[in-house]
Amino acid sequence: MSTVEIVAAQSAPIALEAPAPRRPRLVDTWWRHVVGVFACLVALFPIWFVASAAFNRDNSISGTSYLPTHFTLHNFGNLLHNTSKDSSGTTIDAPFLRWILNSIGIAIVTAIATVIISALAAYAFSRFRFRGRRFGMLALLLVQMFPQLLLVVAIYLIVLNVGRILPVVQLNSLFTVMLVYLGGAMGVNTWLMKGFLDSIPKELDESARVDGASAGQIFWGVVLPLALPVLAVIALWSFIATFNEFVIASAILNTTSHFTLPLGMYGFISNQYGQRWGVFAAGSLLAAVPAALLFMFLQRFIVSGLSQGAVKG
Amino acid sequence: MSATTAPIPSNDGGRASWLPRLISAFSGTTGLAVKLALLSAGNGLAVWAIVTLLAKHQWIAVAVLVAATALIDLLYFGGARTVPAKFLIPGVVLLLGFQVVPIVYTVAVSFTNYSTGHVIGKQDAIKQIEITTLQPPENGKAYTMAVAHDASGRLVLLLQDQLSGKTFVGTQKGLTPAAPGLIHASGGVIESAKGYTILHGLALFDLDKTLQTYVVPVGKAGIRPQSTTTAVELQPTLRYDAKRGVFVRLADGAVFRDNRKGSFVHGQEELEPGWKTGVGFANFSSIIHDPLVRSPFISVFIWTFGFAGGTVLLSFALGLFLAITLNKKGMRFQRTYRSILIIPWAVPGFLSLLVWGGLLNDKFGVVNRIFHISIPWLFDANWAKVSCILVSAWLTTPYFFVVSLGALQAIPEELTEAARVDGGGPFQIFRRVTLPLLLVTTAPLLIASFAFNFNNFGNIYFLTNGGPFTGNSSIAGATDILISYTYKLAIAGGKGQNYGLASAITIIIFFIIAGISAISFSRTKVLEEVV
Repeated sequence: MSTVEIVAAQSAPIALEAPAPRRPRLVDTWWRHVVGVFACLVALFPIWFVASAAFNRDNSISGTSYLPTHFTLHNFGNLLHNTSKDSSGTTIDAPFLRWILNSIGIAIVTAIATVIISALAAYAFSRFRFRGRRFGMLALLLVQMFPQLLLVVAIYLIVLNVGRILPVVQLNSLFTVMLVYLGGAMGVNTWLMKGFLDSIPKELDESARVDGASAGQIFWGVVLPLALPVLAVIALWSFIATFNEFVIASAILNTTSHFTLPLGMYGFISNQYGQRWGVFAAGSLLAAVPAALLFMFLQRFIVSGLSQGAVKG
Repeated sequence: MSATTAPIPSNDGGRASWLPRLISAFSGTTGLAVKLALLSAGNGLAVWAIVTLLAKHQWIAVAVLVAATALIDLLYFGGARTVPAKFLIPGVVLLLGFQVVPIVYTVAVSFTNYSTGHVIGKQDAIKQIEITTLQPPENGKAYTMAVAHDASGRLVLLLQDQLSGKTFVGTQKGLTPAAPGLIHASGGVIESAKGYTILHGLALFDLDKTLQTYVVPVGKAGIRPQSTTTAVELQPTLRYDAKRGVFVRLADGAVFRDNRKGSFVHGQEELEPGWKTGVGFANFSSIIHDPLVRSPFISVFIWTFGFAGGTVLLSFALGLFLAITLNKKGMRFQRTYRSILIIPWAVPGFLSLLVWGGLLNDKFGVVNRIFHISIPWLFDANWAKVSCILVSAWLTTPYFFVVSLGALQAIPEELTEAARVDGGGPFQIFRRVTLPLLLVTTAPLLIASFAFNFNNFGNIYFLTNGGPFTGNSSIAGATDILISYTYKLAIAGGKGQNYGLASAITIIIFFIIAGISAISFSRTKVLEEVV
């Protein structure tokens, strides 16, 4: 019997006498609450003022205060129009709902396609032994170190020149932007996914194969359903990354109606904090609240993916 | 090895069983049908693309496409030996097209002078030079002119020789005499022309830029608009000597030679445009030798490390501090604090950054007004750097808070307890026990976060746009990091585009990131798994 157990056995009766798990008294923890409250205030600071500005009549940032001085929903109403007037009377082309739809659409399709593509590749690397497997995995590792962000110049020039000859990939097309995102999908996620697939017992594949299932059937019917947790993580990461992506979208898209949300919002505010702050705040709030809720709801997945990423690099 | 592992399949059959059922419904016959449908759609697309390419005489592209399509079809019907390939094709095609080809292209461009003024080939450049150096001679012909659209909407010039009264229709292809009676002109004004719409007022004003470079070629000479109603005859000022490959100025016989860097030069004088050509390592060596490139590059380079390092260290310190403070057993409101502190991570980053840009505005910004201070957060070079790191830390701290919380809770309590029994003070326990254990799990994340922030384009571009700008000729602002500097060099600089230099810097960034990743991989031993 180890010492720890002896100590535990001896102290057990004493523990029973004391009131079950005792809350630390406020006298001991007050400073922790001070730090916690202060940190929360800092975290909420910009959000508070954005919310206040969104419901305020004044469209200028200098009119923003702790609470809206003149409560109004006018700013939100403004968003529903395809154009918006700033306080100097200039009309701005700002199809806000279109931007949100573009962004959400492109993010969802990219997320689904990313999951399928990287799952297919990871399955091949995890289950088959073929010539070039090791080379393939190392090449993927190397290629993903070249973030697509860096390749924006080349991607722009390629799309420009190919688009002239073959109108499948073209400038100013959301479909092209999506294809470009998918080009980066495999490199980043295949390693993560392969690690997970390796942990699914191979006996399952074997028994399915004995029952006469083809490789495709085993993949879709046996392996993929078991890999759901990691698929969810990758889909979510892909969604967030695509939703926030600016550089590639800005290089390829050039008319306001094709913009994604980051592009549109960046162009809309374009340092005009004096004239467009109210409408901008309303738009930010409208876009941020669902995204933040989704994130917090699925946070468990993201954090589990993180710890996995920690091990996998 | 991995923290999350696959669940062992159980027969509970409860929730989420619809998905496997749906998936298995798509295998078997349906799966085969889907596969064939996708494959024939792909082939159909390929055939269409091949036809299009054939029509445009792109023979190499046709050959590549035919070979690729044939290969893919072969692999999909190749039986057992090609099974792995089937799974890899979709990703590989996209990876090749939008990642590998761009990488190769980037490397190729980095050895050229591809930039504004060096976009076209040499032959095209020679033609362009011949046109742009045309000048109106003394006593040259003058024309009365009207700008018009022809029936198909093409821009043309309707011209009348002011001396002879003959009328012409001029396009960028050449000059054709107008049929008699087609163009009506009186009193030095062209009034109408059958089949043409003459442009007036605003429509004409919008075309101002186009008209400035619009030349109707006439042999070696040309005709160019001079005002909105007149045009002049132009004569060449240079002669291209094809045998020697040089331009000779007619006026003084000055010789413009190919300088092997894509331009014709005579002393300091350079003819525009130049052409695209290989320049070897010139882009890379200009970063070292050319003071105009070197000084902005070095300050950007240093600041990139400062920004990434500062952001990671500050966020990690704050996140760890918060985690230690709030990770007290039985403390009230723990979950509430956790939920609120995670919000900056949950909100889409670009929105937070744009909002912070407004809040930190020095004149109207909320921060300065609320706290009754007047700090030029974004308009002073040093303060802007501080702002960049602070705002990035605001965004990143929740991540390290969550990570540290997880890592702290994974440290067995017996260890800290044992240290306390041995007489360690709280700080000593933290330094000697908690922190080293914490770093084991978080070090790879710190490295990854550093690599991420090294290329954190958004945090710079959305907050400060790289500014403030010092006013010298460089396009690099005080807070530009390598990636935003490259972006401006190539795309949004406003001072012309330098794809060659941008690509060279891209390659340098790649080697830095690869170096950081190598350190990270050697720690996690990820490569050992491949074997």
